[in-house]
Amino acid sequence: MTIGRRRLLGLGLGALGAAALAGCAPPGANQVNTAPVIPAAAPGEKITLTYWAWLKDLQKVCDIWNARNPNVQVEAVFSLGGANGGYQKMYSALAAGGGPDLAQVELRTVPEFMLVDGLVDLSRYGAKQYASRYDEAAWGQVSFNGGVFAIPQDTGPMGWYYQPAVLEKVGGKPPTTWDEWAQLAQELHAKDPDVYLESFSVADSSPFISYAAQAGAKWFTPTDNGWLVNLTDDASLMVARFFDKAVDNKWVQTAYDAYSPGWTAAAGNGQIAALTGASWGDALVETIGTGSGKWKVAPMPKWSSGFGSTALGGSSAAVLANSKHPKEAMDFAVWMTTSREGVDAMIKYCGIGWSPARDYIGAQRQQPSDFFSGQNYNTEVFVPAAKQQPTDWKWWPITQRTINALSDQFRRKLTAGQSFVDSLHITQKTTVDTLRQIGLTVQEAK
Amino acid sequence: MTATETVAAERASAPAPVRPRRRRKFLGAPWILLAPFLALFVLTVLAPVILAVAQSFTRINRAGMFGEKGVTSSFAGFDNFTQALTNSNFIQAIGRVLLFGVVQVPVMTVFATVLALLLESASARWPAFFRAAYFLPYGIPGVIATILWSFLYVPGLSPLVDAGKLVGLDIDFLGPNTVLWSIANIVTWTYTGYNMLIVIAQLKSIPSDIYEAARMDGASPLRIATSIQLPLIRPALVLSLVFSIIGTLQLFVEPQVLHTVSPAIVSEYTPNLSAYTNAFAYNDYGIASAEAVIIAVAAFVLSFGFLAWTNRKGRS
Repeated sequence: MTIGRRRLLGLGLGALGAAALAGCAPPGANQVNTAPVIPAAAPGEKITLTYWAWLKDLQKVCDIWNARNPNVQVEAVFSLGGANGGYQKMYSALAAGGGPDLAQVELRTVPEFMLVDGLVDLSRYGAKQYASRYDEAAWGQVSFNGGVFAIPQDTGPMGWYYQPAVLEKVGGKPPTTWDEWAQLAQELHAKDPDVYLESFSVADSSPFISYAAQAGAKWFTPTDNGWLVNLTDDASLMVARFFDKAVDNKWVQTAYDAYSPGWTAAAGNGQIAALTGASWGDALVETIGTGSGKWKVAPMPKWSSGFGSTALGGSSAAVLANSKHPKEAMDFAVWMTTSREGVDAMIKYCGIGWSPARDYIGAQRQQPSDFFSGQNYNTEVFVPAAKQQPTDWKWWPITQRTINALSDQFRRKLTAGQSFVDSLHITQKTTVDTLRQIGLTVQEAK
Repeated sequence: MTATETVAAERASAPAPVRPRRRRKFLGAPWILLAPFLALFVLTVLAPVILAVAQSFTRINRAGMFGEKGVTSSFAGFDNFTQALTNSNFIQAIGRVLLFGVVQVPVMTVFATVLALLLESASARWPAFFRAAYFLPYGIPGVIATILWSFLYVPGLSPLVDAGKLVGLDIDFLGPNTVLWSIANIVTWTYTGYNMLIVIAQLKSIPSDIYEAARMDGASPLRIATSIQLPLIRPALVLSLVFSIIGTLQLFVEPQVLHTVSPAIVSEYTPNLSAYTNAFAYNDYGIASAEAVIIAVAAFVLSFGFLAWTNRKGRS
């Protein structure tokens, strides 16, 4: 028995040793972007790339490429959507030294993957020559430290979806400024207390961040001395005060978020009149069973400063650090996101958001829509919106954490009456603290 | 293992055997038979636990904007634990599950006991059918159960909310003050039958002559329940309470699923959700491991504290 116990102890110590060793190689220590560039596959060599993404029917898009490129076959593997499990799986695969060649990574998550050294700097493989093919705003969100860390795949320029018949109750028309929007929200709710102009999310602060960016906020700025963090610039505080007022006066519905089951039901029976939403929101608005022909789209309202539109959501095709063929993976991603057949297939099969290709929105999106009252809303509203997105907005290495922290503070609006302005100040502090805890260089504005 | 055995065998066949041969063989067999279990146990339980404890004492340092100028890890002492315990979200999460446990565990245990006593009483009709029916919710995975219940909670879909409106009641199952109890309802619905079964198993082990003697003395069914059955099922109740305490601390699935329909559920709603969020959404394994260790220690202390308390009470 003594031997057995010793053996068991030995096993335990072995495991402890392994753990200690694992502890010595933290995520991000293997520096893929200082290793030598991996040469392109030799002519005639057959390779297979894998692409983890949560786009449906992505394989059909890959098949078009595969038919043209017998030597570079791409295989699509379905992965859960982003933070719902997809990233968790990708991070684990990266940490284990494996993973796919390409992965779908949201634009706002690109810096988080850079934090674990998970992405290949594609500028080392010639990505910069393709910059002119993409919307400036989208390209800006994948460029850091002079490198290019992903290929933009879809974006979400914002517009204003509305039901003309519901606005008609107060003789309203689409607001061109946020002040008009507030006026309209107030009148609608005063006329019928069951009707709200829009839902405002206190559970997900990302729409708020988009509105602040539209007003000209810049939360993170890369400088030579690390990140300059400023969640409380004038534009952000102005937007926070605006929505404080809207929620305090009950001009907006806060019980459910846009696109949730409760929202869909309310929008269907006219209790929600409108939605400030990204271009990809069209597919979700179309799930309102009784909505066909009742909706239209207008440009989103504007602040007194800043930009004509803004972006919500959007993702990229990123080449992950353990790819054996980064050059070919990048070539595929560029074909998929900028060639006419690639963009059309991505829209037809995968229903992607707005194509970041600078001069092609996709054939299907040039057609008028029956659901949206026969309006040709994509060319009418979203083409100009895509050109009016903030171009210098940068996401940061702990985006998800900041968004969650801000969302958690926002919820206190309902539970404790805490203002959005206070939430921004608190989140500024927690964000800076967290960045310092994980060892990054930060400076606070002012 | 084989190497040592060969050596042992050689030694045994040597002219002057050190130990009797039979004893060596006798010792090897159980280990070989245990090996498949031990291998999996070490790989999937012991090693992760040790890794988590090691990680809870580790800190990662980065240089530059993304760590592009170098990444190292170092011993953090109790820093991760301090950070976890000063994280107000984590503290609130602990408070939340404690409140949940104080209310939900007793309610569920009372339900389970009453159901068990009713089904085991002499006048019960179709006890086998009802036993299966009450146990059925336990067979439904937590995710599915929560999705099913969410259809009864979400305004606009829920017939309960609609019915409430008809009589002038504005019910909000998913609001900041109510959603915890909506979760408690799902958990109670799922686990009452399971705990009932533990109690029934104990009830069945009560010898029938005790009942006979009680009935001879003219005891009513209620008297039998309070004077015979309840004292004798005490061990089962203690067991079910300990399981429930551990289960409460590990609350994860229900809030994680309801999160999509209830704005009131924050990203670190329960301690386990907090550890999950830190590890997999934030890639901060140090804090996550520290939180996991804290949860494990808390479950250990609460369970054993409760056992010690009931034992002391039992003796006095």
